[in-house]
Amino acid sequence: MRSMLRLPVLAPLGLLAALTATGLAQRSAAPPASAAAAAATARIVKAAQAVAASLDDAGRAKLQFAFDSTQKSNWSNLPSGIYERHSLRMGDLTPPQKAAVLALLETALSRDGYRKVMEIVRGDEVLRRPGGGGAPGGRVAFGEAEYYLAFVGTPSTTAAWMLQFGGHHLAINLTMAGSAASMAPSLPAAQPAKYTFEGKEIRPLGRENDKAFELINALDAGQRSQAVLGSTVADLVLGPGQDGKVIQPEGLKASAMTPAQQTMLLGIVREWAGIMTDGFAEPRMAEIRANLPQTWFAWSGPTTNGSAAYFRIQGPTLVIEYAPQRTIDHIHTIYRDPTNDYGAKIAAK
Amino acid sequence: MLAAGAVSPTSAHRRDEYLQAARLAVDPDRVRIELDLTPGIAVADGVIAAIDSDRSGAISAGEAQAYAAVVRQSVRLDVDETPLVVALASSELPDVAAMRRGEGAIRLTLTSALPPLGPGRHHLRYRNAHRGDIGVYLANALVPDNPRVDITSQQRDAAQRELIVVYDLHPSRPGSGVASFAASVGVAVLVLAALAWRRRRTS
Repeated sequence: MRSMLRLPVLAPLGLLAALTATGLAQRSAAPPASAAAAAATARIVKAAQAVAASLDDAGRAKLQFAFDSTQKSNWSNLPSGIYERHSLRMGDLTPPQKAAVLALLETALSRDGYRKVMEIVRGDEVLRRPGGGGAPGGRVAFGEAEYYLAFVGTPSTTAAWMLQFGGHHLAINLTMAGSAASMAPSLPAAQPAKYTFEGKEIRPLGRENDKAFELINALDAGQRSQAVLGSTVADLVLGPGQDGKVIQPEGLKASAMTPAQQTMLLGIVREWAGIMTDGFAEPRMAEIRANLPQTWFAWSGPTTNGSAAYFRIQGPTLVIEYAPQRTIDHIHTIYRDPTNDYGAKIAAK
Repeated sequence: MLAAGAVSPTSAHRRDEYLQAARLAVDPDRVRIELDLTPGIAVADGVIAAIDSDRSGAISAGEAQAYAAVVRQSVRLDVDETPLVVALASSELPDVAAMRRGEGAIRLTLTSALPPLGPGRHHLRYRNAHRGDIGVYLANALVPDNPRVDITSQQRDAAQRELIVVYDLHPSRPGSGVASFAASVGVAVLVLAALAWRRRRTS
């Protein structure tokens, strides 16, 4: 009799104990991705503080902005002389200060991301130099001196802040909040899209171009007819100034691609999502991968590599556009997350 | 050693074109069009001259309104082949210097009331005939805010001067507002009852 009465009492207690143990186990084992991201933030904060420490008060005043300031959206693809940037100008720095900034960028970006950013900046040197196609002596200013750095919010391992670096054809807006980060919106662009440096041919956006052409040509006729828009897309739809807009997705849904094609699509996405340091990029890629069935690939233009063609990749948390400006030698791209531009989601936590 | 490939001979921006980018927001009872017009630096003077009718070098409020009206008249909208009246809701014009630099975008918001439409498939057609001589166009639908509107496709002409948004309009559920309120009240009553029962047991 006593054992029968005990069961209704002990069973719920046992269940409660099991649930509690599970919860404790989950809390104590922090997901590896989160730990790597937190470590990345810590390294970036240290490098950012080193930049600030290398400057005098006037330099720090140009570097540091409040998190809720309008500096957050003070970015553009346009060069100095047409668009005014208000932060710390690379051309005004001493060599040790410049080295500190580059060390910060190397810490905040992946190896490929840092390479891409430096190649875009060097491309602007091509425009600046005589015969480079820019307008030397005019009001517009090109070159590596015309790139700007800002901290929007105070560098912190816990509170939200943004590292902003950019100039002509470049805007990197990296918002961090503890172990979470968002690089949206950012704008890597290139002109010239191909140049020679130290005897090597440089194509800052060459990999994304080539991978996209591989994918469009890997589609069968039926898939391609869905992916290819029957009209010319002349420019970015969601470029600078288009914060908060969500356009209707179109093209070929990734769920209609083969696994190999989906892998190619993710490879293209990584050219943007992977600009951030790996600690941030891997969770981001995992998020994008999880949303892959609802991700679309759209194309406009010829499908032969070497042609000027537009493409767009759009998912629930992702928009990438690649838009040649009438020529393959001048490319604008945009990278957005409609749910997390400027770290809106992570900064709110 | 840095050497260029085939670099375009001038600066890096849209020069001899007038970019006109439209974004359409479709609701069950109206359409809103955001239209951004950005003249390239080589055509900016001509566009400015068309706006600055008194040649003062600045754009007055009256001149801005007049130009916005010209653009509005260039936009045609119809739903299921029934023409709609397009109204100007707002306009922002940059200063002349910004337009000459190639960074000044004219921003117009146009709206059209839709006639009462039954549930089912509808075709909304947008056409922009403004400055076809120098215009370069983008036309896109935004994801609808209202769940009754479900865009199934977008069809454009080659130059994106025309966009047809094909969408399904779902019926609104009769009394759906009342039903939601009743459900919320029911849940609140249950929660209060559960809290009261717990207090009785612990006291």
